[in-house]
Amino acid sequence: MRPPAMLIHTVMLALLFGVATDVAAHAEAGVAGGLVSGFLHPIFGVDHMVAMVAVGLWGAQLGKPAIWVLPITFPLVMAGGAVLGVAGVPLPAVETGVSASALVLGAMVALRVRPPLALASTLVAAFAVWHGYAHGAELPQAVNPLAYGIGFVISTGLLHLTGIVLGVLVRWPAGAGLVRACGAGIAATGVYFLALNLGVLA
Amino acid sequence: MKALSVVTVAVAMFILPGSAAAHLVSTRFGELYSGMLHPVTTLQHLVPWLALGLLCGLQTPRTARWALLAFPLAVLAGTGLAGLVPGLPHVDTANILSFVVVGGAVALALRLPAPALLGLVVLVALSHGYANAAAEFRGRDWALYATGVGLAAYLVITLVAGSAHALMTGRPWGSIAVRAVGSWIAAAGAMFLGFLHLVA
Repeated sequence: MRPPAMLIHTVMLALLFGVATDVAAHAEAGVAGGLVSGFLHPIFGVDHMVAMVAVGLWGAQLGKPAIWVLPITFPLVMAGGAVLGVAGVPLPAVETGVSASALVLGAMVALRVRPPLALASTLVAAFAVWHGYAHGAELPQAVNPLAYGIGFVISTGLLHLTGIVLGVLVRWPAGAGLVRACGAGIAATGVYFLALNLGVLA
Repeated sequence: MKALSVVTVAVAMFILPGSAAAHLVSTRFGELYSGMLHPVTTLQHLVPWLALGLLCGLQTPRTARWALLAFPLAVLAGTGLAGLVPGLPHVDTANILSFVVVGGAVALALRLPAPALLGLVVLVALSHGYANAAAEFRGRDWALYATGVGLAAYLVITLVAGSAHALMTGRPWGSIAVRAVGSWIAAAGAMFLGFLHLVA
């Protein structure tokens, strides 16, 4: 495209955006804002994020049926925790619980702990309540609470998927080592956030 | 030159428009299209409809066939019901409950007998059809609007059920993916239900 033609196109495009006026909205307002804020909530809390990846990694390491039991039950238990958060039921040490979940789940992956499925599920479910509570506590303030909830559930599910996909590496010896190293990294992140929450680090 | 143009456009994009809360429904695109767009642009309808499509995809084609046909017809009946008996209580709660019930059934990969599936589909359809019409009914051409809602219902359920069935055929992870999405839908519904009854 020749420069003058490009300039004209640019100015026209700028005008197009410039003259756009408001278009009256639909009854359901704030869907985009709610979805985005919900989607970003688990990602912006680094300890949340790594703990969710650890769930997927651990599931992949444990193999069937944990690889699918954990990601399917987690959102449901998390919703229970979120309702407690929405209702404002006091739950002790929420942020500490979230950081501890990164430490414990990361350590499980790093040490390749293989408990029975019921025990692994109970452990993950207990942490799911804390994670859900932390997200749910902010749901009533969201622009669109339904969209916020959908956003953070999708985000959490995709973080599990990330862990599961990374966990496919356990088929190869070097990959299995890498997965354990990821677990160690996650546990270390948990320690850091735990220290912050307990006031050990300023 | 090119970089300058890109920067100019980008700056224009961010600075100039006010709130562009756009939605074609309100531009009078025609009653039929208003009806088609309303359910697919409202999370409260779209998400449980997706779940219903997934649930039908999980059944055998023989079981699901009648449900696919019954869904849009019952949605149509629901919009009619809104005209005949306006102001029924608890319709919104029923719609949110459909997230939990249908999403939960998908997460559990329930294989339902044909009458049970049909009953569930018709109940969900009536309540959603009702809510679609209740929100948008006044001053509209009912026949065109309701046909639009019914068409959207048919498109959503057949496309989703077909896609889910195709995804699960020959792929062991396909049914896990479908079940995971079902659990997401149930979880989102349970939280919103909690919000509606405890806070709002």
